[in-house]
Amino acid sequence: MGNRRKSKSELWANQALAKLWQLRFVLFLASLYLLLAGWLFSGAHNVGVRPSDVYTVSEIPAWKAPDAEHWFGTTGTGLDLFRLSWVGMATSFSVAAVAAALGIGLAHLLVALFVFDPGEKRFRLLNSACRSVGILPAMAVLIVLAGGSGGKQEVVIIVLAFLVCLHLAPVIANWFREGEEGFDVLAAYALGLSRLEIVRGRVSRKVIRRYPGIFAALVPSLMLVETALSFLGMGGDRITCGSLIAYGQGLIIEAPWMALYPGIMASVVVLAFSLLGWLVNRAVRAEQIVRFL
Amino acid sequence: MILHRLLIAVIRLGIAAAFLILLVEVGYVLLGGADRHVWDLSSYRDHSAGAEIVVTGWGDKWKSASTHTLLVLALAYGGALLVGYIWGVLAARWRRMGGKYLLSAIFSAFAAVPPFWFAIAVAIFSYFSWQRPGFADDWVVDQGPDVLSWWNAAVVALPAMAAATGWQIRAVAEVLEKEAGLPYVRGLFYSGYSDENIFYGNVFRRSLPDLVALIDSTLPFLLGCIIYVEWAFRYAGIGRLFVEGVRQGIYEDILMGGVWMAIVVCIARFCREVIAGLLKKS
Repeated sequence: MGNRRKSKSELWANQALAKLWQLRFVLFLASLYLLLAGWLFSGAHNVGVRPSDVYTVSEIPAWKAPDAEHWFGTTGTGLDLFRLSWVGMATSFSVAAVAAALGIGLAHLLVALFVFDPGEKRFRLLNSACRSVGILPAMAVLIVLAGGSGGKQEVVIIVLAFLVCLHLAPVIANWFREGEEGFDVLAAYALGLSRLEIVRGRVSRKVIRRYPGIFAALVPSLMLVETALSFLGMGGDRITCGSLIAYGQGLIIEAPWMALYPGIMASVVVLAFSLLGWLVNRAVRAEQIVRFL
Repeated sequence: MILHRLLIAVIRLGIAAAFLILLVEVGYVLLGGADRHVWDLSSYRDHSAGAEIVVTGWGDKWKSASTHTLLVLALAYGGALLVGYIWGVLAARWRRMGGKYLLSAIFSAFAAVPPFWFAIAVAIFSYFSWQRPGFADDWVVDQGPDVLSWWNAAVVALPAMAAATGWQIRAVAEVLEKEAGLPYVRGLFYSGYSDENIFYGNVFRRSLPDLVALIDSTLPFLLGCIIYVEWAFRYAGIGRLFVEGVRQGIYEDILMGGVWMAIVVCIARFCREVIAGLLKKS
């Protein structure tokens, strides 16, 4: 009984448990991140309001200052501002998450065009091209394209993804370069593995493992950008904290809470995501170091 | 070397201008469905009626906006460089205690606040607590020292500066920490050199070219941030003109604003390259 050879499924289960234990910090932090995102979306459904309903002010405004019932007060049409800010942040999160995922994917594809080239200066063209685009501020590029297209959601997401791709590609290229300098890679060369096998089987996997951390750290920044774009009136027909603040900006004497509270909501949510994103990113990197050692 | 770098800077500016023209065409005609092409002269404002007055006003408008934005930029960029470099070096000195995260934490937390909302919150505070107009275009000083314009510029500069400073501290500290992790540092330590001597006499000195390379890295971000904070605070700068141009589809304002920003970035990049070249020579 004591010397029984373990079955394949038993071995697989043990390995899976060991892997989960190794990833415990990453999983814990990632689940907190997802819980926060889940909380945002739990209030986003069935709000049943069009932006035009929110921004209309009747002759006798129905707004109320913040109280126990309405924490953030109400709008000119009597809508709860906390609920609207909640919906707004969920919208910003969804736009940011899609753009970040697309941007990371595009950056990986772009780097993959150069990575199999054996030359020493293989990333030179990529780095120069990305640096040249950086002469114009990314926000200016985004404003021109989003403003020109009337703030279409798909345009905002695609432009954000392209900007993320252009800024991330040199970083990913650097990771590939660093990855190829490791002792394990040198050992693989000594064992006779081809460059293609090493890059695909070893270096790429190391780089890809960093992407969840990058995604988690990117989303809060993109949420801020999306909020800023909506504030400028280039976020299209969506309720976001940016558009709520822009709406409140015109009423700061009569109803200052309308500009103030959506901003507090945005700050708190972005701060929470930034902190968790940074921790997830760090944990993912630390896990890599442990694996390497 | 300087002439060579200058030529590269001019080429870069040309590329940026061409890219901007392409962006306007794609944004307005391809995506927005407008029928005014960017190369078509009739797409620009009609200056035929009272041309002189319009052109003079247009030039004055841009001159005044440039002055306003340069003041904001000087505060934000100067502050980010000054605090970023000094605190970054300090953070690298405290690397064993996580100085990089400790010193940049307050700036990173501030960076989570939407900058445009910060400007509006200052205006609201100004209305209700100080009983005075809050936005930049509410009040004009016509006699005595114009402290108000400095205050307005500081409100626009502060949120942009905070985020850039946090990034600068981390970047400076990372460069120094990377250098401090090299084997020769341990060798010097075992030879009996003091920690301070090793850091300032060797690590810092050897990292100077890499540190200089970080000079202009926050500038595009700062300019991008200033664009919408100016709009939010109703500050009469380039950013406000640019956003108004985009909202109303005024091509000349968009192109002028974009080229103005590209010129600032190109000048900063040119300065960085010249300084890096001189350091390399020495």
